[in-house]
Amino acid sequence: MTSDLGDGPAEPEHFKPTGTVVILTAFVLTIILLWASVYLILLSRGVTT
Amino acid sequence: MSVEQAPAKKTMGVDPFERNWMLFSIALLVVFFTLVTIAGFALGFQVPGVETEVDPATVADSGPFASPGLRQIADGEYEAHVVARTFSYDPREIEVPVGSKVTIYVTSVDVQHGFKIQDTNINMQIVPGQVSKLTYTFDRVGEFPYICTEYCGIAHAAMYGVVKVVQPGAGGDG
Repeated sequence: MTSDLGDGPAEPEHFKPTGTVVILTAFVLTIILLWASVYLILLSRGVTT
Repeated sequence: MSVEQAPAKKTMGVDPFERNWMLFSIALLVVFFTLVTIAGFALGFQVPGVETEVDPATVADSGPFASPGLRQIADGEYEAHVVARTFSYDPREIEVPVGSKVTIYVTSVDVQHGFKIQDTNINMQIVPGQVSKLTYTFDRVGEFPYICTEYCGIAHAAMYGVVKVVQPGAGGDG
């Protein structure tokens, strides 16, 4: 008698976390844009020595 | 959400998503660090430092802080000494010709204050007993208010002044 789960080792499943990737991509792009905008503001305001 | 029957290609036991995320995070930190290094060393951006230490009880009695204001030290170069106290700056107005390179020294005679000139990169903490210093070239005509950025008491919001950058010959030194 065999079960639905099979007798041998289960086939490895690769879960693709599409939603997490989308959220993290948006998060990273936001960080990069905010950081870059502040950096450009710093440069545009001139050097302090 | 989907489940695919694709083999997970792990490198050294790390999931590809984790590995890529780590590599990207490290690359991002390297880029940020490189840009900050370029700004600091190649472009010359400096953060305010402690110029000297003084006695806040007597700093306004003698020396340059006894008569705060703007002094010309060379052609196109000035130094400004500013005393911060609750709830005002002395002087409250500094007027310089456009293109002037101004070294600003600020100290406090009572509590901790801030000194930020709008639309410039000048932003200093003013700690009693220390003199904060930054040098900046004002290359645009206009008025640049400076404000206290450290809550220093009930009238903190009234603590401000202005740097007026004018065309040469349009006004006297402030």
